[in-house]
Amino acid sequence: MRRWLLPLGVAAFTAVGAYQATLLATPYAVMRVAMKKIDGRMAVNSFGFGPLATADNQPIVRPSPDLAYSGCVFDVSQGPVLLDIAPVPDHYWSVSIFDARTDVAAVRSDRDTGGMPARLALLKSGQQAPEGYEPVVLQHDQGIALVRILLANSGEYPAIDALRRKSTCRSILD
Amino acid sequence: MKTWHRYAICIVLGLVCGVAFAAYQVRGGLAAATITNGAWTTGKSFGTAAADALTRARVALGGLLALPAQEAMYFIARVDGDGEPLDGRCTYLVSGGKLDGRWWSVTLYEGAGWLVKNAANRWSIPAHAANQHDNGAWTFTVSPDAQPGAWLPTGGVAAFDLTLRLYHPAAAMLADPGRALLPTIQRQGCKS
Repeated sequence: MRRWLLPLGVAAFTAVGAYQATLLATPYAVMRVAMKKIDGRMAVNSFGFGPLATADNQPIVRPSPDLAYSGCVFDVSQGPVLLDIAPVPDHYWSVSIFDARTDVAAVRSDRDTGGMPARLALLKSGQQAPEGYEPVVLQHDQGIALVRILLANSGEYPAIDALRRKSTCRSILD
Repeated sequence: MKTWHRYAICIVLGLVCGVAFAAYQVRGGLAAATITNGAWTTGKSFGTAAADALTRARVALGGLLALPAQEAMYFIARVDGDGEPLDGRCTYLVSGGKLDGRWWSVTLYEGAGWLVKNAANRWSIPAHAANQHDNGAWTFTVSPDAQPGAWLPTGGVAAFDLTLRLYHPAAAMLADPGRALLPTIQRQGCKS
């Protein structure tokens, strides 16, 4: 039995390491899959305007069927990415910036802008925001910008869909 | 048995146990959050850098792209008011009063968090669609069969959860969601 004592200690050490590594890696892996899914519909640094979530259309887990989602997979490695979010009067709307670890770098909603457009510059360390844009410095080069717009009912969708398509996500190099 | 055999066996065992335990812990997704209020559970660190590794992994798997609590709170119920698992073959009455925030809705999911196919093509009850009563009270029915008034179909699935989204929660709700007045979920009966 004594011959097993040290190997069992190594097993315990390995188990703790594997446990932590699995927890740490999970958000990155799930986010990578989500970015690929969105990226498959639209190019990097441009918005994709998905239809309302239904049982037959669930791009991500736990979608809200009450919200119109627009997603942009961004990459700031070559330069800042600029978000111009068109307001939707008399509706809740927000833009949230998720990094590759799933952390939220910024959220701005109609409450924050007072109904005005949201203008954000997504940056990595060392990059500068152009004038008129609020800087959002990221810990990771890639991530997802997600716009949520609350619909009172599905009949509003055509009008809301037209409004949200005024929002843009683009690299400063474009 | 040679020494390196013992080490190899133990390292493989350690790897399998570590990964399996992590998978076991994250399987609860958002519903495994740490704050409990009646049938509902929630957390305050969803989507933030302050979240620990376990919370972040749970949110990634069960509620990817969830907003921080200041913007929206997510309460999840997998049991009714008596602590019994929510069963899609049963009928429930969900009752509540004024919720301390800008807007709310309750959505029904199965499994890790997927909308359920149903003939009515209805997956949520937003605040304005619930049956309104005196003093700000409201109700709706969760059932596999069509119900009068506000009805959220279960699609007859074996198990489901309800997610209450509360956008722009008030300061008191943010400070102490464990003591907030949240809806009750009462089982009315089940199909045999």
